[in-house]
Amino acid sequence: MAIRKLHTFLQSYFTAHHCELLHNQEGVLTVQLTEEMDRALMNRPFYWHYIKKMGHPGEPKQLTLITDPEKRDGKHEWIHYGSPRLHQIVNHLREHEKYTKLFERVDSKQKTSLFPWLVTNIKISYQGKQKKDEMVSIGLQLVNGVMKLKMMDDLQTKPMQNTISDYCYTISPMIKLQSGFKRIEKVLKTYVEDQDHDWAEASLKTMEEEIDLLRHFYKTDAENDEMKKEIDDIKKRYSPYIAFEVVNGGIFYLKNEA
Amino acid sequence: MNHIDIQQDSVFINQFENRLKTEGPFSSWDLFQMNYQAVLTTMAPSFEGLKALEYLPQMDFLDHQLSCARQVMEEMNGRAILADEVGLGKTIEAGLILKEYMLRGLVKKALIIVPASLVNQWAKELNEKFYIPAVTFRKSYPWDQYDVIITSIDTAKRSPHREQILEQDYDFLLVDEAHKLKNHKTKNFAFIKSLKKKYCLLLTATPVQNRLVEIFNLVSILKPGHLGDYDSFLKQYGKDRKKLNQDGYLKQLIQKVMIRNTRQNTKFDATKRNIETVWIDFSKEEKDVYSHLENVTDVFPAFSKITLLRELCSSREACYLSLQKMMTDEQRESIIKPLTEEIEQLPQHVKAAKAVDLIKQADGEKVIVFTEYRATQFYLQWYLKESGITSVPYRGGFKKGKKDWMKHLFENHAQVLIATEAGGEGINLQFCNHLINYDLPWNPMRLEQRIGRIHRYGQENDVHIYNLAVRGTVEEHIMKLLYEKINLFEQIIGHLDSILAELDINDLESEIQTIFSESASTGEAKIKLDNLSSVIQLTHEETAQEEQYGN
Repeated sequence: MAIRKLHTFLQSYFTAHHCELLHNQEGVLTVQLTEEMDRALMNRPFYWHYIKKMGHPGEPKQLTLITDPEKRDGKHEWIHYGSPRLHQIVNHLREHEKYTKLFERVDSKQKTSLFPWLVTNIKISYQGKQKKDEMVSIGLQLVNGVMKLKMMDDLQTKPMQNTISDYCYTISPMIKLQSGFKRIEKVLKTYVEDQDHDWAEASLKTMEEEIDLLRHFYKTDAENDEMKKEIDDIKKRYSPYIAFEVVNGGIFYLKNEA
Repeated sequence: MNHIDIQQDSVFINQFENRLKTEGPFSSWDLFQMNYQAVLTTMAPSFEGLKALEYLPQMDFLDHQLSCARQVMEEMNGRAILADEVGLGKTIEAGLILKEYMLRGLVKKALIIVPASLVNQWAKELNEKFYIPAVTFRKSYPWDQYDVIITSIDTAKRSPHREQILEQDYDFLLVDEAHKLKNHKTKNFAFIKSLKKKYCLLLTATPVQNRLVEIFNLVSILKPGHLGDYDSFLKQYGKDRKKLNQDGYLKQLIQKVMIRNTRQNTKFDATKRNIETVWIDFSKEEKDVYSHLENVTDVFPAFSKITLLRELCSSREACYLSLQKMMTDEQRESIIKPLTEEIEQLPQHVKAAKAVDLIKQADGEKVIVFTEYRATQFYLQWYLKESGITSVPYRGGFKKGKKDWMKHLFENHAQVLIATEAGGEGINLQFCNHLINYDLPWNPMRLEQRIGRIHRYGQENDVHIYNLAVRGTVEEHIMKLLYEKINLFEQIIGHLDSILAELDINDLESEIQTIFSESASTGEAKIKLDNLSSVIQLTHEETAQEEQYGN
């Protein structure tokens, strides 16, 4: 589910933020920003401060982004995976799109019950001498306790919205949010503990070797402050650990599939 | 294995509960998915490899730069001496490594210590080439306010900065020109050593100059104990750097913390240097003035006379201005006045005419002209204009903004950049591949720097270098007895630094000055020059044999 085409991604991003697409040809995208997006992306707080003080509505800017390097014209921004603009958009997403409550859309006049799921997307980072990340998407049904992996892939095909459809009603959760989250954490812990940890072993080994060398280097002076600092530096660099970070999550009310 | 520390995320679920209580705000399905996609795209799913390459589509890295970055991270665990020869792109390697660490979330706070004259250039390269938001240190903001700060060691080690910097926990420390830290008894060394740091890169083009203990000291910053302790190292290797070659074990150890690419072992040699000496004959009038000046004895100290002769080989203006300054009393004036009057009568300088020919031959391609003298720079600007050639001047003394502007003008509008010596350092002009050494500096290091402006990483064409010299003058002696004899342009360049250090010559230029001023005759000066080049040549041959250290 990673971003496949930057152009489509940006198009959806601006559309989702209610910005009008003024020009949208292969490789070039011009959007009319809204005030909210102008404030988020254009970095001109003083303009907005001033214009509001004067009692004016203000004029959000237009933004042209070039997604195809062949179309670069020297006047407009070329946006690519490393460009500061994309970085800014990703940060904006990470900051604002963390929590949600969504309902599956149901186009039926029959009464339909929707079941609550706690969905969390969690990035696991393994850090030894180097570092790698893994994404896990877990859903927990809060009535019967069923758990599903690859939850986002499942959900991808479902129409979801922020309001509940007509004729639908929600089932109250049996499992409390906090204890549901604990269950997810427990599963994750078991998952990582069951893995091989060659990477961590290797890191610990290197750490011990370097500390030994260090003691040899300072052999005359075991209580040396400089040596203590060096040992701290080495520990910071090599102590292996695993970190969980919830990228985003929320309550999803879904039709019962069974 | 059961003792791995697991850090859980306790913030999310509590914040989410609060959101539910306040009934939002909640993300739309689209944006929620987009955040997930963005993280999937930006995370690093493997321990190995360079994720940064996807983020730097505009950069064209060379093979040795990529393998250097991987080696530093995957084998050296982020602490290394980067000791590539000048012009192979150490800055690029270091930038790539820093970028990769930042993308992987391993580095947030970085301190970059570089020579004061290069602070701005580093900032520019990191920002423009790597999109690393590095700032140069300014008095008004504290050291903990920005994540990536570039500064000079002189600023960093001064109170109150010193104390503040020592309090920080740096994830990444970079020291450029690290060979200046070779002595472990200096304050600079102690300061760098006491910084709290995780990853650390030391950049230097000349890792070992005289004694092996210098490299011991550099390694002690990165990995104390890697080469044993100080006393036993000194006992075993300290005095003699030739031991490095004989001791395979030591060499191996050093290769674990140092990477050294040379022009020979990289594909860099794909672009060649074509070097041509262009001989020029003075016109009859010029020759007369030259010998008149050469034969004046009483007024000038020998030292100034040699300078005046060099100036006359460069332009009438340069020599004229210096002579005018010397007319301080009547007695001097009576001797100098006839000279200046003769100079006033001279036609356009033959060398300038030759330079114009060469520029016209370049057929519209960009050309850099280097001269030693400001007066010549002004003269050439005027003379090129008369000949219908567009040019811009460049001097070390220009303010930064003006330098950037001149570079911009040269790149986009003018055909020629006329630079004086001080302009030689720091500016990168890979888009140009013709260089005219209008007059030769006596310090070959400066020549190396001049050529390094265009023959460096990023140059896509062969470079053409023209050295102008006037026959029968002091220029001929220098050209023939020094530069051509030691094969300076083809062989020695790149090694001069270490050769001169070996010979304990700090300043070749003043060495040559002394030869000319202390010699009673031209013949004597020639013999001494000849001896000097023999010594340089010999030392080069000796050191070339032990070049094979590093990785």
